[in-house]
Formats: sequence, structure tokens, C-alpha cells
Amino acid sequence: MFKAKHHNRILYISLIIMPFLIVFISLFIGRYHLGLKEVLEILSAGIGSASQSIVHTVVWEVRMPRALMALAVGGALAVSGGALQGVFRNPLVDSGMLGVSAGAGFGACLAILLFGNGPMTYIFAFIFGILAVSLSVMVGKIYKSAPTVTLVLGGVIIKSIFSALISFSKYAADPNEQLPAITFWLMGSLARANYGDLLIALIPICIGVGGIFLLRWRINLLPIGEKDAQALGVNTSLCRIVLIICTTLATAGAVCMSGTIDWIGLIIPHISRMLVGNDNRKLLPVSCSLGACFLLLVDNLGRTISSAEIPIGVLTALIGGPFYIYLLGHSKGGNSW
Amino acid sequence: MNPLEVRNLHFDYGKNPILRGVNLELGAGEIVCVFGPNGCGKTTLIECVLGLKKSHTGEILLSGQRLSELKIDEIARKIALVPQNHQHTFGYTVLEMVLMGRTASTGIFRSPGNEDIAIAEAALNQVGMLSFKERSINQLSGGETQLVMLARALAQKTSVIVFDEPTSHLDFRHELNVIKYMCRLVREQGMSFLMTTHFPNQALYIENQGIPTRVALMEHGVIYAQGSASQTLSEENMRRIFKIKTKVYHNMLEGQKHTYMMPLGFSNGGQWNEAENINFTTHTDADTDKLHEFADSDGEPDTPDRL
Repeated sequence: MFKAKHHNRILYISLIIMPFLIVFISLFIGRYHLGLKEVLEILSAGIGSASQSIVHTVVWEVRMPRALMALAVGGALAVSGGALQGVFRNPLVDSGMLGVSAGAGFGACLAILLFGNGPMTYIFAFIFGILAVSLSVMVGKIYKSAPTVTLVLGGVIIKSIFSALISFSKYAADPNEQLPAITFWLMGSLARANYGDLLIALIPICIGVGGIFLLRWRINLLPIGEKDAQALGVNTSLCRIVLIICTTLATAGAVCMSGTIDWIGLIIPHISRMLVGNDNRKLLPVSCSLGACFLLLVDNLGRTISSAEIPIGVLTALIGGPFYIYLLGHSKGGNSW
Repeated sequence: MNPLEVRNLHFDYGKNPILRGVNLELGAGEIVCVFGPNGCGKTTLIECVLGLKKSHTGEILLSGQRLSELKIDEIARKIALVPQNHQHTFGYTVLEMVLMGRTASTGIFRSPGNEDIAIAEAALNQVGMLSFKERSINQLSGGETQLVMLARALAQKTSVIVFDEPTSHLDFRHELNVIKYMCRLVREQGMSFLMTTHFPNQALYIENQGIPTRVALMEHGVIYAQGSASQTLSEENMRRIFKIKTKVYHNMLEGQKHTYMMPLGFSNGGQWNEAENINFTTHTDADTDKLHEFADSDGEPDTPDRL
């Protein structure tokens, strides 16, 4: 008993420290080689220091915002995925369940077709991500009897419609300029990260993740059955809709900056379930930390293993999939779900 | 003031009436068993009483307060549910499961605190399950799960607990175990239970234990007869409602009086006759009229919800 608690404390402390540690390590990783002394000097000089040396630019203007963006996106996707698994009482649900990623993808395609690759891409991605979820929820309301099943169905329908629209916009795109931009966006990338984008993305992410964290105890009651949860005093439909809004804000905020990144919202909550169980009071903070760390590590890998950057969406699936299979084989089973 | 009163409760799904004027009272320190065939409206009745079905007419009073004027968390602080079975999804620990009983007393943006954990552990202790608190709910047997559900309802700290066929899938020993804990809670803490059941001997057993037990015999959305278990679960009533022949026995065993019921066969002479088989799930007004005639011819009162 005591041992288990002690073990947990070490786990929690390391989960808090880990993201910062990995951000620090990320500052050294990349084509431009930096030593420990240089990085520490630049860090202690602060972001506003007058020196406009290359080192300053590399640390403060390139690597730091990108690392922070990876943390924000990874954390947001993992927390949204974990929360939606509770909302839909299904451990196979991820953050894109209701079509937010597909909608955002089409929004980005449309913006690239209409305005070229610029800031409109973020705005369109965000708006269409939210639009797709609203449509899924509307489809889900057609039948009143089984709300979660029809919501899932609504998500599947809307996702496939937006996927078709994405294919069509690829078909319609100019193959020399627009098509590569679309393809690259859809595979996900943090390469354009800067502080301005980060601050804008953080607004919906913080509102969404904050809302999810506030409701973390109530999320526990959603999977135990409609009747049971209501008899325990939870307004399940209100709780569900608030959580859908929160997860949509967080996910849309993340994917409009990073492009489509699958898998994080599925495997990170799973790994967290294996570590700390299913209580969302522990599960969601742990997912947040692990998601942030995982995406940052993958991004570091993506920009170093080959001379051309490997899209992050590709790597999360390539690393996440086998890693998850490994974990499934090594977990004791039964306890997680 | 009774912890629960139901007055002239009506409920329908469109044109299909489910409850047609149910009157029921649950006193302090009493168990009321709602007994009746499948489709008679038992489940709808308890869903209305828990505030899960809103569109009913008539009155439901919880300790004198109208249910329709209470918020969902206020209802959950007055009346709790022990469900028929638990849906297995995520493997919460037993303690987490019981802590869910504290949700109605926890602010919407808050989580249960140390005080709530103490209440949950005390509730687990009351049903002898404290040593299971770190176990996953998915690894428990049906009987153990049902005791955890009872502990969760106890953690809600309500005066009334509703049981929806609490032992319907438990083995002989676990059934007895759950019923024993229920009897103890009524006897020692004066709690009030409303339970639905399919087993007449369950109600008779509780009565044999000296617990004030009333049986509400339900048929076609009305309470056909109501009274003490041994009065209501009569051979005559079984013949009318289930069309089966039964025999009620009274015995002294181990210094205690035992009343129990034995089914003997179908009342038409031993065959399951499709023509005589009453349709339990759908019914017409003609059916109920026939039932009333039946009651009249036997000199019974013709208001079927009273005895």
C-alpha cells in the first residue's frame, strides 16, 4: 500500500518535470549544433536580449516556439481523446471522433485553394473543424433514443463527407503549388511555429482543456450508464454537450496550427490508463503530460533523422502503432478496460 | 411524513399507457416490494420515482417535497438507485465506483474530497466489501458487484433506496447475502427501500425476518392489490395475475415462523395454453375490463389499485 503510493508520487513528479526537461533537450537538437554553454547563455539572456546572433534566433525564435507548440498540441489532443472516450463510453474513440480533424483538413484545403498558403488557413481550419462537429451533433440528434450511438454514426458520416471534399479539393488543386501545400498540411507539421500562432492557438486550447479538467470527476460517471449516472445526480446530456464543445475547441485549436495528427488522442489515453487506471482525475493530467512529451519527442525525431523533415502525422502513426502493440502485449490486461 | 409518496401517477408512451393511476406510500423503516408480470410497469414506476422520466402526470413526493420542483442533484440526495446490473466499460476501482455516490454532494466543477472517501469507505464497510476497495470492478463476481452498487447507494446518504430487481442474476448464496444486508439496513438504520422483484419468496423471506414488508401487486399499470406480503401474495392473487396454481405454506423452522410459496402448475389444469396465456407486454382496455369483472365476481373492490 505504502509502496504503491510512493511509486505514484514519483510517477506524478516525473510527469510534471518531464515536459520541461524534453523542451530543454529539444533546444540542442537540430542541424545547427549548439553546446550546453551556448544554450544556457542564450536562455539566461532571455528572449528580449539585444543580441541578434544566429544562436539567439535558433534557440528563441525557432526551436523554443516549436517545442512549446508541440507541448500544447500534444497535450490538447491527448486530453480531448481521453475525455471523449469517457463521453462515448468507448476506449477506441479518439479526439477526431466527431470529425473535427476532417473538417479542419477541408477548411485548410479550401483556404489554400482560395487564398494560397497563408494565415487564412488557420482560420478556415478552425471554423470548419467546429462546423464538422456541429453537423455530427445535429445528425446525432435525429434519433433521440440512443444518443451516443447516433452521435458516433453522425461523426462517421460527417467525417466521410469531409474526406470526400478533401479528395475533391486535391483533385481541383494546382499540382505545382497548391497540391504540395495541401498534402503537407494534411500530414501535419509544426515547422511554421512562432509565438504569435502559439498564443492564438493557446486561447481555444486553454478554454477547452480547462473546461475538461473542471469536469474531470463528472466524466467518470458518463460511461456507467445513462440511468445510473442520472440517479447519481449528473445531468448527463448537458455534461456531454459541454464536453463535446470543450474537446472540439481544444482539438480545433491544435489541428488548425499543426495539421492533422492522428493517434495521439487514442494511444496516449490508453497508455495513461495502463499507468494510473481509469479515474479521469488522474487519467487526464497524466494524458496531458504524456501527450505533450510524446509529440515533442516525435517532432524532434522528425526533424533530425533525415535531411528533409518527415511529416509529424506520419511519424506519430509509425512510432505510435508498434509501441502501442508492444504495450498491449506487456500490460497485465483486465484492469484497463 | 413519508419518505416517498406516489399519488395518482400516470405515464404513457404516446398512445400506449404504461402507468394508469398508481398510488403508493413508503414509510420509514419499511420495504415495499413491487411485484408483477413483465411489462406491468414496474420499471417505469421506479424510473418516474427517481426523476428519470419527466413527462408523467400525478404527484411524487420525496419527504414531502414535490419531485418536479427538485433539481437532479437534489433528487439524488433524497433517493438512490441500486441497478439491476452494472454495465462494464472502464475498469474503475471499487472505491472509485462507490465515490460516485458522492457526486450529488460535490460541486459541479469539484471532485470528491477526503471526507467523501471516508463516507465511501464506511459504506463499503457496511456491506463487508472494504477489503475489495482497490480491486477493479470488472474483476468482481455478480454478487460482489451488487454489494458495491449497494455501497454506492449508501454513500449517497439518502433516506430511500430503490432496487431494480437487485438479485435477478445472482446465485442462491449471493441472493441471500444481498437480501440479508438489505434487512439489516432497514432494521438497524431505519432506511426505506422500494424494490421490484420477480420472486414472491423474496418478499416473504423479508417478512419472515420481521421487517415491515408491504407488497404492491402490479398489473397493467395499476396496483391491483397492496398489503403485507403474506396477505397479498395469496394463492388467489397468483391465480388471477399469473394464471398459475400455487400453494402457500407456513412452517416453524429453527424457532422462527416461515411463510413460503410453491408453484404447482398452470391454473387451467397443467398445460401452457396459448389461448389462455395472458399477453404480458401489450394489453387493451378490454383486458383490464375483463380483469375488473373478474374482481367484481369475486366480491373484490372494483378499484383495482386498492385493497
